[in-house]
Amino acid sequence: MIEVSALSKRYGDFTAVRDLSFTVQPGEVLGLVGPNGAGKTSTLRSLAGIIPPSGGTVRIGGIDLAAEPVAAKRLLAFFPDEPRLFDYLTVRQHLNFVARIYGVADHTALAQSLLEELEIAEKADQLPGELSRGMKQKLAIACGLLHSPRVMFFDEPLTGLDPLGIRRMKDSILHRARDGAAIVLSSHLLHLLQEVCSHVLILKKGEKIAHGSLAEISAQFAHGETGVSLEEIFIRATGGSEN
Amino acid sequence: MLGALLYLRLTSLKNLLLSRLRRLRQPKYLLGAAVGAAYFYFIFSRPFGGSGRPSTSSGSAAAASFTLSPVELVPLLSVFGAFALVLIALFTWLVPSEKPGLTFSEAEVAFLFPAPISRRRLIHFRLLGAQLHIFLSAIFFTLLSRGWSFLGGHVLTHIVGWWLVLTVVNLHFTGAALTLNRIFDAGISVWRRRLVILGGLTVLVVAAAIPIWQNAPAFPTGNFGPGAFFSAIARTIDTGLLHWLLFPGKLLLAPFLAADLRTFFFALGPAALLLGAHYFWVSRLEVSFEEASVAHAEKRAARVERFQAGDYRLGSAPAKARREPFPLRVPGRPELAFLWKNLLGTRAVFHWRVWAGCAVAIMIGVPWIIRAGGTAPFAAIIAVVAAVFAIYTLLLGPQLARQDLRSDLPNSDILKTYPLTGWQILLGELLTPIAILTGLLWLSLLAVMLALAPRAETVSWLTPGFRLTAGLCAAAVIPALCTLQLLIPNAAALLFPAWFQSTRTRGGGIELMGQRLIFVMGQLFVILISLLPVVVGCALVIFASQWLIGPAAAVALATLLALAILAAEIAGGLWWLGERFEKLDLATELRP
Repeated sequence: MIEVSALSKRYGDFTAVRDLSFTVQPGEVLGLVGPNGAGKTSTLRSLAGIIPPSGGTVRIGGIDLAAEPVAAKRLLAFFPDEPRLFDYLTVRQHLNFVARIYGVADHTALAQSLLEELEIAEKADQLPGELSRGMKQKLAIACGLLHSPRVMFFDEPLTGLDPLGIRRMKDSILHRARDGAAIVLSSHLLHLLQEVCSHVLILKKGEKIAHGSLAEISAQFAHGETGVSLEEIFIRATGGSEN
Repeated sequence: MLGALLYLRLTSLKNLLLSRLRRLRQPKYLLGAAVGAAYFYFIFSRPFGGSGRPSTSSGSAAAASFTLSPVELVPLLSVFGAFALVLIALFTWLVPSEKPGLTFSEAEVAFLFPAPISRRRLIHFRLLGAQLHIFLSAIFFTLLSRGWSFLGGHVLTHIVGWWLVLTVVNLHFTGAALTLNRIFDAGISVWRRRLVILGGLTVLVVAAAIPIWQNAPAFPTGNFGPGAFFSAIARTIDTGLLHWLLFPGKLLLAPFLAADLRTFFFALGPAALLLGAHYFWVSRLEVSFEEASVAHAEKRAARVERFQAGDYRLGSAPAKARREPFPLRVPGRPELAFLWKNLLGTRAVFHWRVWAGCAVAIMIGVPWIIRAGGTAPFAAIIAVVAAVFAIYTLLLGPQLARQDLRSDLPNSDILKTYPLTGWQILLGELLTPIAILTGLLWLSLLAVMLALAPRAETVSWLTPGFRLTAGLCAAAVIPALCTLQLLIPNAAALLFPAWFQSTRTRGGGIELMGQRLIFVMGQLFVILISLLPVVVGCALVIFASQWLIGPAAAVALATLLALAILAAEIAGGLWWLGERFEKLDLATELRP
């Protein structure tokens, strides 16, 4: 579903991502982790077609993102860490707008069920300025889910959410994965990886340090020890520093 | 404690100046500073018009009556200035600002409010903080008013004069706001307060109007000019109760209007007393301002954040959702979704029903005014005003109508994930300002065409057929012109995001003003270059074909050519900028 081959991203002389390759199959949730400046956000933004990669290829559902960006983007949804909303559109108008952009037929019923599922149906006629941070996040998610994407990218999905919101976000990600979506998320929160991700990709200074299922990664860095925490594994994998 | 607050203020000021100086190392700021400095030099070095200077030529009786001698002019300024101050004061009480009496930044609220600082010290801190701004404003106004050489005096007395006026006005604003807060805190409703103030105002107006009515000085008769007219107005105002109401204002203005140092020092005493009284009033007010200040600081921070994110719309975020401009049906052209979305972000007045109403009003009103006026000058005035409005709208409109990619750049990450090409997003984003500017220009054109009707009686070639053809041709070209005009600032935002972003910084000083000037000049230059082939092509077509097919058909033919050239330029621009948008990484572009 997501095929990344030799992806690189350079900013002038600085290389943010170097020769990155991996695949994410339908139903898999890949957690992108690494210290600050590891290249997580650059990777995620390149995968979502927000910034052009400097090299390599990204295929979404078999479609080359560089060659056919419009067709590839029909299949994906990107969820930024901060909900980016239009100040002057109500909740319902946001969904109406997105429906037109993605050409979602019968969007009214779909939007209503999404609003109800995310528990913001009561706020349908309110502007973002009247919503709490959590409500805004829910609206951003509803907008992303309206066109039933088969590929989803989440950038720090738990930022700013309260405990209940965190629980719901985790459930939502798992629910979409079970329905066959391929998901990539970036996060600093290791407990999120443990609970939600089927696979983990550890980045450091733009390079892949490790990639595999949680069990594989644990085995790789536990060095035969038992009961090694995920935090310890992360520190061992990354060398315990940003550099 | 006040020492610590002063330290905060002075250190912040020093660091601000240093950072401004440091950023001049970047070419964009250095060039901006050079252009800004040149602009100020031009503005302040050119001679001012001597509107108040006595005429040195013998002149006619009418011309002589137009001007006044300095001896006559200074009292006039005193009366009108004092009258303006009275109006400002009344307005402050009647229509209080939403701002609290004392405004603090979010950082000041966070650090100072929980600190062991008395309320009175906070008031002093705020009043002192305003002094820098007031002092700079006094210098600015002195520079602006330096051409009023008839006043006499000295540059320093003028600075002190302006400083006194601005400080007292500032203190009055603060005192009024705090007093009103106190009244609200006492549980007096807004309506009761308005009733009391309106009642008081009515009593004042009636008490002032009666003596004016009874003892109004006679207006000059015969051939009198504006000088005599304004003198009569001043005498009328300066009567009865109003004479006493104007008295404090006159005292306050006296140092600025002083012709020599001796008069200045004599005038300084009463003005300083007025200032002292205001200071005493404000500093002794026992009123809770913290809650309103916190709310205002949050609002201001949100506004600054929106402003820096490129949202230039004035006022706070909307409190209520707007009615949809038109039903957005799915499926349909995705570009129209952007038009729909951005129209929702404009004011309710930008609705097709309002435009249609304006068109009907123009179609009824312009002929009626021309008929009622009975003479051609009315028509000429309407035509000229409408034409000037249209030119300004075309030239400056793109800087004001920003409901396009410039406002949506912060959302570029989301926009780029849409299954649309770059040019589609750009075109969609441009549609709203195109619609707004086109609507305004069409209304102006309608007024011009209607106002030209009387001229057709004397100008043989201005036949109804030609006017209709020319009007329709102009109407057809207008959307293309607006698109081209709007493409340029959007291109600037996409091609030079770091430059464009820096011009969004609020305030910012001379270098940012210079940068904005560079953008405006750049826009003018590019539009002239773009229109050159259109103008040359159209001129050639009209010149070559009008002998064969007549002027109306020649204009129509030239319009087709103009539309073809403009369409090619716009298509090329959209495609190129769309490509640029697809490759844009704002985060990288804005790296320092």
